[in-house]
Amino acid sequence: MYLHIQKLLLLLSLIVSTQVSAQKNISGKVLDESGNPLAGAVIKIAKLGRAQNIITSNDGSFSLITEYDSVNAIITYTGFDEFSTLLFQKTINTIQLQKTNKVLDDVIVTGYSVQNKRFIAGSITTVKASEIKDIPAPGINQLLQGKAAGVQVTANSGVAGGGVTFRIRGNNSINASVEPLYIIDGVFISSNNLISTGLGSQQQSNPLADINPSDIETIQILKDANATAIYGSLGANGVVLITTKRGRLNSKAKIQFNTYQAWSTPTNKYLLATGPETALLTNESRINTAIDNGLPASSAVLIPNPEQQPTFLRTDDLFRTARTSNYDISAQGGTDKSTYFLAFGYYDQESIVKPTNFNRYNLRFNYVNYLSKKLKLGNSINISRTFRNVSSNDNNPQGVINSALFPRSYLPVYNPDGTYARYGSFDNHLALIEHLNNKAESWRTIGNIYLEYSFLPELKLKSSWSVDNTSVYENNYSNTLIAAGLANNGSASSSESKSLILTNEQILTYIKSFGGSRKHNINALVGNTINTVLNQNTSASGTGFASNDLTAVSVASVRTGSSSRSVAKLISFFGKASYTYDNKYTFDASLRADASSRFGVNKRWGYFPSGGFTWRAGQESFIQKLNVFDELKFRVSVGLSGNQNGIGSYAALGLWNSGNNYLDQPGNAPTQLANPDLTWETTRQTDIGLEFSILNNRLTAIIDYYNKYTYDLLLNVPVPYRSGFASYLQNFGAVSNKGVELTLKFVNLERKAFSWTSDFNISYNKNKIEKLASDIALGASGRNISILRQGFPVNSFQLYKQLYVDPNTGNAVYEDVNGDGIITAADRQIVGDALPRITGGLTNNFQYKDFDLSVFVYFQEGNKIMNMNDFFLVHGNTQANIGFLPRQLKRWQQKGDITDIPRLTTFSGNPSANNSSANNYGGNVANLSSRYLEDGSFIRLRTITLGYNFPRNWISKWNISGVRAYIQATNLFTITKYNGLDPEVNSQSNNQNTTGYDWATVPQPKTIQVGINVNF
Amino acid sequence: MKYTIHRYFYIATLFIAFSSCKKYLNEIPNNSLASTNAITDIGTARAAITGAYDAVQGYYAGNYPTIGTITADNVIFNGTLSQYLQLDQNAIPADNVTTVATYQGIYRAINLANSIIAALPDVKDARLTAAERDRIIGEAYFIRALGYFDLGRGWGGVQLQLQPTADLSVLKGIKRSTLAQTYDQVLADLTKAEPLLPDDASTRNRAQKSVVRALRARLHLYRQQWAEAESYATQVIANAKYALVTPYRSFFTSPFLTTESVFELTFSANDRNTFWNLWYPSSFGGQYTLKPSNPFVTKVTNPLIGGTRNALVAGTGNNVYGVLYNTTTTGVDPSYIIRIAELYLIRAEARAKQNNLAGALADLDVVRRRAGLANSTAVTQAQILLAIEEERSIEFAFEPHRWFDLVRTERAGDVLGITDRKRWLFPIPLSDVLSDPDVEQNPGY
Repeated sequence: MYLHIQKLLLLLSLIVSTQVSAQKNISGKVLDESGNPLAGAVIKIAKLGRAQNIITSNDGSFSLITEYDSVNAIITYTGFDEFSTLLFQKTINTIQLQKTNKVLDDVIVTGYSVQNKRFIAGSITTVKASEIKDIPAPGINQLLQGKAAGVQVTANSGVAGGGVTFRIRGNNSINASVEPLYIIDGVFISSNNLISTGLGSQQQSNPLADINPSDIETIQILKDANATAIYGSLGANGVVLITTKRGRLNSKAKIQFNTYQAWSTPTNKYLLATGPETALLTNESRINTAIDNGLPASSAVLIPNPEQQPTFLRTDDLFRTARTSNYDISAQGGTDKSTYFLAFGYYDQESIVKPTNFNRYNLRFNYVNYLSKKLKLGNSINISRTFRNVSSNDNNPQGVINSALFPRSYLPVYNPDGTYARYGSFDNHLALIEHLNNKAESWRTIGNIYLEYSFLPELKLKSSWSVDNTSVYENNYSNTLIAAGLANNGSASSSESKSLILTNEQILTYIKSFGGSRKHNINALVGNTINTVLNQNTSASGTGFASNDLTAVSVASVRTGSSSRSVAKLISFFGKASYTYDNKYTFDASLRADASSRFGVNKRWGYFPSGGFTWRAGQESFIQKLNVFDELKFRVSVGLSGNQNGIGSYAALGLWNSGNNYLDQPGNAPTQLANPDLTWETTRQTDIGLEFSILNNRLTAIIDYYNKYTYDLLLNVPVPYRSGFASYLQNFGAVSNKGVELTLKFVNLERKAFSWTSDFNISYNKNKIEKLASDIALGASGRNISILRQGFPVNSFQLYKQLYVDPNTGNAVYEDVNGDGIITAADRQIVGDALPRITGGLTNNFQYKDFDLSVFVYFQEGNKIMNMNDFFLVHGNTQANIGFLPRQLKRWQQKGDITDIPRLTTFSGNPSANNSSANNYGGNVANLSSRYLEDGSFIRLRTITLGYNFPRNWISKWNISGVRAYIQATNLFTITKYNGLDPEVNSQSNNQNTTGYDWATVPQPKTIQVGINVNF
Repeated sequence: MKYTIHRYFYIATLFIAFSSCKKYLNEIPNNSLASTNAITDIGTARAAITGAYDAVQGYYAGNYPTIGTITADNVIFNGTLSQYLQLDQNAIPADNVTTVATYQGIYRAINLANSIIAALPDVKDARLTAAERDRIIGEAYFIRALGYFDLGRGWGGVQLQLQPTADLSVLKGIKRSTLAQTYDQVLADLTKAEPLLPDDASTRNRAQKSVVRALRARLHLYRQQWAEAESYATQVIANAKYALVTPYRSFFTSPFLTTESVFELTFSANDRNTFWNLWYPSSFGGQYTLKPSNPFVTKVTNPLIGGTRNALVAGTGNNVYGVLYNTTTTGVDPSYIIRIAELYLIRAEARAKQNNLAGALADLDVVRRRAGLANSTAVTQAQILLAIEEERSIEFAFEPHRWFDLVRTERAGDVLGITDRKRWLFPIPLSDVLSDPDVEQNPGY
């Protein structure tokens, strides 16, 4: 559309310009809306196909010599709306530009400032709201999946409002946080889960689901050191800058209404061995075990009549067709002195596995007022309430999915007397679905007020005060019909958690162009911030209730309480300067100094410099002569950024904790060794980038190579247990991430009625632990399947590598790594990791007349998944209370069978022998076999959307300016070798070092949705 | 002049800015003490010894009874967690969660005891009487002795850490001791503890002179010092404070702290023991990970073997479960560390070893009669020793004895079929082997 106007104007200017003869002077002035001159505005003149740029001087004036009476011009200025006009000779051309809050193509928000994209040396990816709208997921971080190079996004489960794994250019850390810094309209917000109810090992919630994606205008992802160093100690993991919508000056009210309704089903369902199959496998294992123990086969106690065992299908009870509804209404506009944006949203989503659900109410109000010509006041405020019905899964045997998935299929769901039947460690799944009662209600306020004073047009001081205040109120009641409340006559807990982040910042900005034809441009700032983070929790719990209708802790017979509180503070000073010469060369430098209360008194301060250089080679005449590139730009940057998040607020202090009570007397015990030298974890990053456009801007490419090296890791270094401690937090170790990113934008076809564009991005990252004190193994409830080891990526898996199942004996044969002839812990080896090598996305947008079609494919490659469901359900009968997967039926039965599933037995003598039945499922191997580790690569049709814009003449009579209706499908199909329900899974997500497990987790849903957008 | 005033003003501003910066960045927690102020007066001294008992609770509530039972023949794995399967199959990797947590928990208690032993003599607080100071130090010595004893019988001779860990430098150069050296340290600490401790008529959940003597009797039994074992057992049995309770079940039903108990750790509604959860089926809200084995159930429910000790199990058929830890609603089951029944059986064994067969039978029968059984029919020394072994197996079925008994009598091969003696000791935790240049792994791991 924009392109068409341009062409039209060009044509117009051609017509006008044909009437000319001699050299003429055209001059004028560019002003802002309050009449202040704008120095450095760019006036683009189109004359018979040749482009010429003129830049306004200090007083905003310009002049040009031309042979025409009038010329067509496009005037641009950073932070203002682009303006197209005809410039005439003789008259004084006064052009008033309007300030914009809409981020234009060539202007992007960077750390503490707005910069022209063309000159930026940093690696920054911009995602516009239109690219991520209407995907039925509540969290903005989840919506970025496959949309930005260098960003890896995985929804940990299909739980509505559940956790999301979000990494920018890989994992930088081991014990400190690997989450990026999220900033919304200048407010540093928390991305820490606050829900304290234990839900197995899954991350309980996605705190970014508190924000309505519809309120967002753009998202900038700052990736390299040049872009992030200005955030110093907070920037090492990358920064996500979110800008919400604002009204525009002098614009009339625009009201928008959006809604969609969606229906979700699981992409796959569990398939388990039937009752007769389970009994058959059990009996076979018992006979084999007797033989292995040197007893006659007849001594085995068997399940009688295995083929007549009933089958109870539990897992089908878990799933439902889940509903999602979304409603948004917003109003925006502005007068000559103020702008506003007001929005209300409601989102309600059920999980496909009962009984969890999520809903959210949002209210946003963004307002700006020009109090005087020099003083501006603005705010943005978001108030949201989210509600979650949560349920436990993953490694909690009394979770809903566990209780349906694992019990043996021949065991009845109900006892003969009609009560819920329970087996082994598991609860009854129907009891949980009907009686689980875990509610979490969260209120969040994210607000910012700022004042901006212009001393001079080029010198501005901004002072801003921000708050991110979250309160979560949780109420859980386990009644006497579920296992958790059975033993103690009902158990209840209630807790109130609070996270408060207060930030105050002052920024002094200086932007000026000078010299002949404005060849010198300076963009500089200095500032400071003061940041306080408070976390506190008060909880009470009680057991013993008179009735299941009484659920308040206050009426329990036994009650206990607890509380916690921590405060961390940060003081920062920073400066940044960027100098551009002749639109070609830009030099960038920044420095930040941070002091954190978390660190040792000796080493509180950290200094984080960065530097960058951009060369717009496309502006050089020798490149322009090639007539190939519409834009050609090289970037290089290097810098340091720091990390302090994720460690305790008092991590550097030597502490004795209280509360270690005995005989109801207060007791103290040492918990932490002092480290007065504890200081910043630092990431050094080098980035080399190339950007170009060719074929008349039909193909735009951005290529980046980066090399990140994080050293002085905040590492819990294991110390000998005889010290009385398990670890000592030290600055030790290093991790590297190296990678390549490629972003391509194609304009494949552009006709009057039909257009086709494609966006493609692909990223490669290689992660490696460069230095570590000693191996750290963890994960899978003490099975230590995840390992951190020097020379390998984080999130590596260590297992016994199964080579084959011996066709003669039916026993599994494992690789004897140290060659000592026996299988011991020393033979566990790293057999893969959970980090995808390659991630990316491809979006194709088609437009035909009033129809639009968008197809978005996401892919990732190279990660492994530890399939814990297989681990438990293919157990050779070592798990007396757990059923089987059909995969167990492929077990070795007789000489010559070729399979990877060994002979069934629970024999345990001689646990270190290789090719011994002890190690088939038990023994030293204890089922920690590589046969349960699978390739997690997949390619998925993430969304496909078909929309229709109602013709204006149909709708204008109702005062409606636009209506779009659409139908969309999400996760319609997935191509993968993974045998579990869904390859997008991360069950043990509450620890960043135990990624890549699939363990009784809600799978990703497949969703069909219809929606409508209406503009008044 | 004006210039200098300005300059002073700037310097002052800077100074205020930086000093307030420093102040602003000093944050301290409200639920912890700085380790430098941890033991300074009567309140913190008491809190430290309370913390030490809490640390003993930490490893005795569930972990120690687990590694002392599921490894032998009375208790089997019935859950989902691999750590228990590994223990049940006696295929214990060096990173087995339960053995690692136990080892770590014991040293945590030892570090607290070391801290108290080091700091208490210097506490200057008039309110702290000499008697109380002695008691606290004596309790610390006892806790350290118990810790090293529990390490020694599980892992063999360990590294003897006798100084509190203020920083990591105190760890350097301490190699593993032999089992005899570890037990010598236990004896030394018990010897120091005994005179410092009181002995009253009612306390059963804190260290007392009699508790020290009881542990000493057990130590001598483990070291095959029969005369000393008999002598110390006799001293405890002679104390009128202790007597076997009838019926058997009454020592593990509320109210606890019966005369049966020489030393138990008390739990409360605010400080719960959830060990029952591992024993009870999910239909009672438990996890049912630990299950009485079929041969044991057959024995304990046999009126001629188990007698009234059949109260240790409940349920029927495939769903028999152990109920020694049974306060499912309140979680106040004690950790049973030393019962008077054990002293009788220690003396019986010590007497049998010294060929005092009549004396041995007399002690054995005291325990049998309490369980409602007839006197033992054993005659020869070998028969009597076997009868004592069997009696201990049933009497302490779910307390941490059976595995350690079979290892100390070198009978684990015959009874459990574990002929590889390397598997009679637990592995030193893997992370220690990796992080501690001074430690050596037990052979076979």
